[in-house]
Amino acid sequence: MSNYIPTIGVEVHVELKTKTKIFSNSTNGYGQMANSLTNVIDLGYPGTLPTLNEEVINLGIKAATILNCKIRKVMHFDRKNYFYPDNPKNYQITQARTPIGYDGYVEINVNGESKKIYIEEMHIEEDTCKSAHRGTKTLLDFNRAGVPLIEIVTKPCISSGEEVKLYLEKLRELLSYGEISDCKIEEGSMRADVNVSIRKNETDPFGTKAEIKNIGSISNAKLGVEKEIERQTKLYDNGETFKPQTRRFDDKIGDTVLMRIKETGNDYRYFPEPDIPFVVLTDEMINNVVETLPMLPDERRKKYQELGISELNANKLVANRPLSDYMNTLLTEKTNHKIASNLLLGDISAYLNRTEKDIKETTLTKERFLELISLLEKETLTSKNLKDILDTVMESDTSIKDIIKEKGIENITDDTEIRNVIKEIISNNPDSVNDYHNGHDRAIKYLMGQVMKETKGKANPKLAMDILTEELN
Amino acid sequence: MKDELSREEVLHVAELARISLTEEEIKKYQVELKKLLNEVEKINDVEGYDDEILIANWDSNAELRKDIAGDMLNPKEVLENAPRHAGNYIEVPVVISDGEGA
Amino acid sequence: MKYLNKSITEIHELLKSKKLKPIDLVEEAFANIENNKEYNAYITLNKEEAIKQAKELESKEVDNLLFGLPIAVKDNIVTKGLLTTCGSHMLDNFVPIYDATVVEKLKEKNMIIIGKTNMDEFGMGSSSRTSYFGAPKNPWDKTKIAGGSSGGSATTISCRDVLFALGSDTGGSIRQPASYTGIVGMKPTYGRVSRYGLVAFASSLDQIGPLTKNVYENAVLLNAIVGKDEKDLTSARKKEEDFTRLIGEDIKGMKIAVPNYLMSDIVSPEIISKIKDTIKVLEKNGAKVDYVDVKYLDKAMTLYQIIAMGEASSNLARFDGIRYGHSKENPKDIQELYFETRAEGFGEEVKRRIMVGSYLLSGENAKIYYNKALSIRDDMKKEFINVFKNYDLIIGPTTTTTAYNLDDPMDDPLKSFMDDVLVIPVNMAGLPGLNLPVGFDKNHMPIGMHIIGNAFEEAKIYQLASFIEKELNLDLEPFGGENNE
Repeated sequence: MSNYIPTIGVEVHVELKTKTKIFSNSTNGYGQMANSLTNVIDLGYPGTLPTLNEEVINLGIKAATILNCKIRKVMHFDRKNYFYPDNPKNYQITQARTPIGYDGYVEINVNGESKKIYIEEMHIEEDTCKSAHRGTKTLLDFNRAGVPLIEIVTKPCISSGEEVKLYLEKLRELLSYGEISDCKIEEGSMRADVNVSIRKNETDPFGTKAEIKNIGSISNAKLGVEKEIERQTKLYDNGETFKPQTRRFDDKIGDTVLMRIKETGNDYRYFPEPDIPFVVLTDEMINNVVETLPMLPDERRKKYQELGISELNANKLVANRPLSDYMNTLLTEKTNHKIASNLLLGDISAYLNRTEKDIKETTLTKERFLELISLLEKETLTSKNLKDILDTVMESDTSIKDIIKEKGIENITDDTEIRNVIKEIISNNPDSVNDYHNGHDRAIKYLMGQVMKETKGKANPKLAMDILTEELN
Repeated sequence: MKDELSREEVLHVAELARISLTEEEIKKYQVELKKLLNEVEKINDVEGYDDEILIANWDSNAELRKDIAGDMLNPKEVLENAPRHAGNYIEVPVVISDGEGA
Repeated sequence: MKYLNKSITEIHELLKSKKLKPIDLVEEAFANIENNKEYNAYITLNKEEAIKQAKELESKEVDNLLFGLPIAVKDNIVTKGLLTTCGSHMLDNFVPIYDATVVEKLKEKNMIIIGKTNMDEFGMGSSSRTSYFGAPKNPWDKTKIAGGSSGGSATTISCRDVLFALGSDTGGSIRQPASYTGIVGMKPTYGRVSRYGLVAFASSLDQIGPLTKNVYENAVLLNAIVGKDEKDLTSARKKEEDFTRLIGEDIKGMKIAVPNYLMSDIVSPEIISKIKDTIKVLEKNGAKVDYVDVKYLDKAMTLYQIIAMGEASSNLARFDGIRYGHSKENPKDIQELYFETRAEGFGEEVKRRIMVGSYLLSGENAKIYYNKALSIRDDMKKEFINVFKNYDLIIGPTTTTTAYNLDDPMDDPLKSFMDDVLVIPVNMAGLPGLNLPVGFDKNHMPIGMHIIGNAFEEAKIYQLASFIEKELNLDLEPFGGENNE
């Protein structure tokens, strides 16, 4: 097979996390009884008119900000006219001419190198109703009709299935972090359509496009693109051509299959929606919204690594939003962030998983956590002992010092106390001391054993060894 | 210029509007639609337009609605005027291709 | 005893003193409608509900001028539980499950909806002859049209069946039939009255307004239906005001413009001369009247056709036989459901307009036609606003002719637009306009004057209209009330 250059563009629809629909005040919900979340507006009843949900505009501003887009301050909506049973008014209200965001980018990391995926535009629109095919009938459920969507369109600047996967993962992470969308592909709250074409040389015109729809997961997006590149390559290699077409990814066979050949020029008869006046955004409105954005993943990763946390742990933290938010409360604290991250991702994660709790539901206040870190750092508490007391730490208000005392597992870290014990042991075991000086390694181990025995195992082992070596010499 | 639309032109706009036409109607609309189109062509006599979008109303901008849920219909009401329904669903003859839009 | 040809204040006093009950008015209204059945003003009567409501009102306090009064509502304004057809086969089985905002407002005032009035199908037409239910007839001459599209509302007022009716006006549909039937009809400023629940024809032009036998009652009804509606983003944020407040004031010093185009040879000489007579009355009473040139007036019809047909093609797309309304029986597939439902459900005028409208928005056409029309419309609006810098009001004739024969041919697709050529500019500019009867032609068919105000200056229009009404003191009952009991 020859090598071709793929050109890939991605269109992603995400459902916005609002309480109500974009143009009506019925509930935006998932998984409810069919046709139980609608009103006359969602059904496109004669005489109804749209209103515009403020939160949709706010989330649009947030998404545009996160995706590094410019924000349009004066925008209007357009009608996209097409007949389809899932389209209640037989027009969809969208933003064809004045998308809320444009000229943005998302950074992905391809084999250790950063690449910008450019966003052409992102616009607000309404979702269609859900249809299910049953034999000779199609059943319509209007619960989804009018759910707010943002459609994000990249420039055709993606060059592999792997990049598509990285882009979608990044987008999902960003939009979830921004609390813009749940981005659950399996529930349809994030949907991706991918346009794929290939050509021989950079200077050639773009090849014929195939659009892949109905992609059920990010890994399928990658696979679908790779299969499509393969398919197109074979066709061209055999001297064949194909018509612009829509394909869908079939889970069962792990490949794309033809849905339909695209008819030339869908005539959507766009025109400005006369029922919705201009939406005008002021700097103040935009700033007020942007201020409520949480710290984004990349910034978190960077901050964590600056504080000495490993790249691996930084990524793990970011992947766990509640823990990452918890970690963020410690960013300016003088503490050992490395220990903090190890604890959060290790014992604490295990505890939270086991008890199915959110960290906010535990008694681990920031102050208690800082105390815990400091005890571990001074080795007053060993990590082995931590396991014994963790449940109590997470579930009671008793101070951590008291918990340790109660359990009797306090490490002796008092220099003088250990030194006194060691001095006594040295004077009581002259033979072993002699052996040590004669180069017998076993002697020091024996002496250490005596120290631990005398302190009932509470002496900090590292400290004890240091003092013992010092006293012996 | 012939003062009627071609058969194809009439069928094209009828397709856009999703209206089936009889042969007789096609002939009639070839003439009638042309008359209307000749009339709207007069807009070309007016100068001065820079592709700016204007939405007519007296207040300059849209008032946004707070994101608070209101009353909804129950499924029974949804089906009340629907010619065909099954269970809680509104029914249509099977649709084969995928949606064109969103 | 007859009450419904009395003034609203008289009836109000009688209701207040319990000498008259709402049920008496409702029964009288239905008796009138029965007597005038041949005029075909109604598509649906709300008999049972109206009687029930009237009886319920007996125990309530008569708290406003409109309390207990019957009102007719144009059949493109949705009424919960009451058939709303838009004059179309497409909706001849459609019972809405919600009320239009204006209907809620009427109910708040305890007005009684007596029935739904006949109209051109979806408001498309100028003679109400495109109605699926047959045309209403002109009470002054039943061989003539009542005008349209609010022909039924105009007819029932002209017949004196009831005191009040609501209509809608996209390109003259209140004012033109009011002119043909000799009544008062107001199209308020775009945004004055909520459009929520008005079945859309052309969204950027549609406006609901009152039809009544006199100016005062018109203003009173407008008082009841205006206001910002959070369900309609195009409804205007305006403080409450009393539209009757300038009624009775004299017009001395009032500055009035008469656009030359409206008095040009497109208008019948009889009408021009009647308008000129009225102008003389105004001048005699201290008003200053100037003839002026207003740019774009001659372009308004073209702009209107583009905007109205374009928007209509999209607004009427929702009638597809899936969720409500007429539906093709046993369609073999979805395409047949669409094509046949719409072929069966829509009449010719509607089909014509939505086909042309689809064309006007198709491909690059939206730019060439629709967007350009919006832009020129804005220039036209500015032109009007300029006139209002120097003048209080603009006047002219409402129509180019008086009502013509019901059996005149309907094969010219431009005729229905031509009938509205004088009133369309007001819709394009979003301004308020009112028809006032100012006389009769040689066949004793009513002639109307069109009074146009600046945006949101309806009160000033009522001031001039009521002054002329009083001065002319015309007998405007088509059969001297003879036909009614």
